[in-house]
Amino acid sequence: MHPDPARAPAWSPSRNAIGLWAVQGAVGALVLAAVVVALEVLLPLPTWLALLLPVLVVAEAVVAVGVAPRLRFRVHRWEVTDEAVGTRTGWLTRTWTLVPVSRIQTVDVTRGVVQQLFGLASVAVLTASSQGTVRIPHLDADVAARVADDLARRAELVRDEAT
Amino acid sequence: MRTSWRIVLVHTITFRQARQWVPAVLAFGAFRGLTDGPLAVVLVVALVTAISLASAVLGWWRFRYEPGPTAIVVTRGLLSRSVRTVPLDRVRGVEVEAPPLHRLLGLVRVRIDAAAGSVQADEEELVVDGLPPVEADRLRAHLLVRRTVAVPGEGEQAAPAEEEFARFDDRWLLYAPLVGSYLAVPLAAVGALFRLVDELPRRWRPDLGRPDLSDTAVLAGVLVAVAVLLVLGSVVGSALVNWRFRLVRRGGSLVAVRGLLNRRHTELEIDRIRGGTVTEGLGMRWVRAARATALVTGLGDAARRGQLLPLGPRAEAWAVTGRLVEDPGPLRPHPPAARRRRLVRAVLPGAVVAVAGAVLTVTSGLWWLLVAGVVLAGLGVPVGLGRYAALGHVAGPRTFSVRSGWLVREQAVLQRRAVVGWQVQQSFFQRRQGVATVVAAVGAGSGGYRALDIGAADAVPFAVAASGRWAAALSPEPETG
Repeated sequence: MHPDPARAPAWSPSRNAIGLWAVQGAVGALVLAAVVVALEVLLPLPTWLALLLPVLVVAEAVVAVGVAPRLRFRVHRWEVTDEAVGTRTGWLTRTWTLVPVSRIQTVDVTRGVVQQLFGLASVAVLTASSQGTVRIPHLDADVAARVADDLARRAELVRDEAT
Repeated sequence: MRTSWRIVLVHTITFRQARQWVPAVLAFGAFRGLTDGPLAVVLVVALVTAISLASAVLGWWRFRYEPGPTAIVVTRGLLSRSVRTVPLDRVRGVEVEAPPLHRLLGLVRVRIDAAAGSVQADEEELVVDGLPPVEADRLRAHLLVRRTVAVPGEGEQAAPAEEEFARFDDRWLLYAPLVGSYLAVPLAAVGALFRLVDELPRRWRPDLGRPDLSDTAVLAGVLVAVAVLLVLGSVVGSALVNWRFRLVRRGGSLVAVRGLLNRRHTELEIDRIRGGTVTEGLGMRWVRAARATALVTGLGDAARRGQLLPLGPRAEAWAVTGRLVEDPGPLRPHPPAARRRRLVRAVLPGAVVAVAGAVLTVTSGLWWLLVAGVVLAGLGVPVGLGRYAALGHVAGPRTFSVRSGWLVREQAVLQRRAVVGWQVQQSFFQRRQGVATVVAAVGAGSGGYRALDIGAADAVPFAVAASGRWAAALSPEPETG
């Protein structure tokens, strides 16, 4: 393996994000389980398939609830420096995004229904280019509000042409 | 203010407002049946013309534009009134065009590009249709007033100095048959003709019989005819759009004039230009032809409006691009891993087919799939090498450049200030081979320009060199690297 092309940003999302991802994974696993139950009841499956499907569902549930959220928590990183805001996401394909504060056009904070249950919020930093968007998912709501305020205020101060 | 009443004539003839009534009239005709002979046809034509005239008059009567000191207000609509107010500082460009019928009546159409960001493409434009050229010039000057104010000196405003950047040479029309988009022109025309023939009543259709295509001479004749048609059509199509293209700098604007039947006059602010692209298709590369396009922030329909040279010799395309964006120097090639990756990608589909073919050959003696797969994989080799040869990147003192693409090779030259963000992407395989893809996010053109598969260690230094110190926030710490 070669060294990474870029540095991992310093900060992680809120630890509550693990809970949120686990809930999302559990819901997905439940849907899958319902589909499998329906299949087993309605269709005359061969015995080996009838035994294999529940095993797969359980395995998926373990991964989606127990493993994937922790992995995601480790993979998602973000950081705000004096001059820029950046993130790293992705496990197999990793993507680093960096936007200078001077080119920020708008900063959005969104709180989904499930996010509110966990006291979380996401921040999106938008620029003049659709490909220059930094999305920081699942921060503690007060952290998200503070970051958005800070970025918006500083962008106002140092904005040059912003395009 | 109103547009000229003569526009009513244009709109009546072109059924501009009445077009939406056509289906209703057709349905009526079909219901009544047009069996009453020529009288009915005349009646229908008269009726349609009357409707067209009435709606053109109403449309003209209800249309108002008011260029105010800070904004332009356009009011229109027959039943539901729509009032649009566009602040003058949102006006990104003004285009004056003169379609043939307009020219006959001494009128022009003014398109005002007021890109508002989130609105749909068709709402980004205000159209004031049917002004005398003098009036249109006055409107354009008014809309772009804050630019002329920025230019010091009254004399310059009266007669701004013109500097010619590019002029279309008629001989360049001969490049057209090698450009995909111009070749599509005659194809589209033939398609439309066939549709028309299809809809004609059977007894009006010419009876051609069935030409015997098995005859070699006939087949060859048809092929030659098709080739000639394609070549002629593409040249004519290119001539219609690009006729006497001329690009001049007038004060702080670039003005492009082009077109044979429909003369277009496009204006864009030099201050908003962030870079340029030079694109060469596969066919264009044979004859060293290229096209040059300016990357302009917040310009609607940028691919057409930003054209610096629609078609011409490569040297000419680079010359006009170089006048607007500094040349960052010769491109640096990408590492050998990039070549390997391009080759694998190009050969893989053929290889998969070949493997499937090999299995089939063994199991059922079906050999042709194997041959097809091997041929496909073999063709992949030059494609992959061509893709690799196209790759390149360089960061100069004030600009940087990236190049990629094989079917259409595009080199983008961008100013440092164009960059609004960076993206570094690394897939699992890229990580194993020590390469990464760097995308410069730009608020112009396609929004992002990629340096594909550059050395992983070069990624952040390139980003820093191409934009600024802020990009160093990405650089890996030496102790953990």
